[in-house]
Amino acid sequence: MIQIKTIQTRNLCESAKNGGCGECQTSCQSACKTSCGIANQNCENKNADK
Amino acid sequence: MIHTYSLLGYHIVLDVCSGSIHLVDEVSLRLIEGYETRDRESLLSELAARYARQVSRAELEDAYDQVTALKAAGKLFAPDTFAPMAGELKNRSAGVVKALCLHVAHVCNLNCAYCFASQGKYHGERALMSFETGQRALDFLVEHSGSRRNLEVDFFGGEPLMNFQVVKDLVRYARSVEQEKGKNFRFTLTTNGMLIDDEVIDFANRECHNVVLSLDGRREIHDRFRVDYAGRGSFDRIVPKFQKLVAARGGKNYYMRGTFTHANPDFLKDIEAMLELGFTELSMEPVVCAPDDPSALTEADKPIVMEQYEKLAELMLRREKEGRPFTFYHYMIDLTGGPCIYKRISGCGSGTEYMAVTPWGDLYPCHQFVGEEAFRLGDIWTGVTNTAVQGAFAACNVYAREECRTCWARLYCSGGCAANAYHATGRIDGVYGYGCDLFRKRMECALLLAVLRQLGETA
Repeated sequence: MIQIKTIQTRNLCESAKNGGCGECQTSCQSACKTSCGIANQNCENKNADK
Repeated sequence: MIHTYSLLGYHIVLDVCSGSIHLVDEVSLRLIEGYETRDRESLLSELAARYARQVSRAELEDAYDQVTALKAAGKLFAPDTFAPMAGELKNRSAGVVKALCLHVAHVCNLNCAYCFASQGKYHGERALMSFETGQRALDFLVEHSGSRRNLEVDFFGGEPLMNFQVVKDLVRYARSVEQEKGKNFRFTLTTNGMLIDDEVIDFANRECHNVVLSLDGRREIHDRFRVDYAGRGSFDRIVPKFQKLVAARGGKNYYMRGTFTHANPDFLKDIEAMLELGFTELSMEPVVCAPDDPSALTEADKPIVMEQYEKLAELMLRREKEGRPFTFYHYMIDLTGGPCIYKRISGCGSGTEYMAVTPWGDLYPCHQFVGEEAFRLGDIWTGVTNTAVQGAFAACNVYAREECRTCWARLYCSGGCAANAYHATGRIDGVYGYGCDLFRKRMECALLLAVLRQLGETA
């Protein structure tokens, strides 16, 4: 039996529509201070199409 | 573009540009890998022969049609249409500053050999920020923050608690103006713990959105580098203070932040040491230093580090199932509520929305460039005057580096750290390949953990 299970994720293409408010945390301003990652940040745009 | 990988017995397909993730079996993994480059008949015939014991021809045809449907739905092989948007967020918010790293103390009470800040002095003179300079920095931030409501300020050093009175006075000042200005200050304190006492604990837990506590893990690892000026390790002095602070924190954000070096590429033991001490919010970072530094990670260390990341993911899974979860900073991913595409492609924000302020009020693109005179942007009284350097930072984004254009992880790192790139290549738009290899491994682990959590397989 072949299995392809699609996980629920934010559609990045759709996020372009209402994104870019800029309220989210600055990338480095947290625990690391020595490497850039944005994956672990939350969207703070309450009106965004997530 | 897709990225496929197998980890801990699971097979994952990431559709890079849509952000879609599929958990698949081995046959579908091979089918998806060949879908765009092979014709249907030859691919299905090969897979039917290779996996004759596991699947029928009809099942393979059905799976092929599923892949076709996912592609049509934009969940596989989605094209990258984001390049024209790369500079948009920064253009839209040009001149807006929303975060400052305040170097309130270019002094330190520890003498850590691996410190990128040269024991807090940043290759310069020892100095403490005055209240007046800090106040002007906060005013500069408010004045340049446009419509941004959330403003981030990190008290950094050196050791910021060596200038604690100014830290307290600056927070009091910020709180006195934030309502009138329509702002919300979020303070972070990054400390080595030596000066933590009851007053600091009360202050940090009342005022700081986040606290970053420097601890490298095992006592012998920590005390190898994190020593005082008499050469004595700091572990036994700081750990009880950290434990007291965290116990009083009441669930607010904190991170135990460690650095691993050539001395401990087996850093999982240090993570375990932190857990044994009762800490659950953890971050472990590869050391940042010159390649010829004795503490620098080597090519021989890399496979060890990669394996440690996998074992860390296994440990997290095991502990979550046991009801004893912990957080690892680089494995935090919110698949449904993470950053929008603008954030993902626009770079880290150093030199534009984020800057560092020295004790005497100079502005630098970020804390890691402080002391590099060529990168001085201006000061908090006259603002940014070195527009050439700021322009170079503004131009740093995912599409600025050729190597990033073909990297599957580009929408998770946003183009990487300009300082790491500069130290590795001499260019802020270069690529620190070693760091990229580690980052990709972390993302593979993080994505798998997030998938398993969503499917309830960690419960």
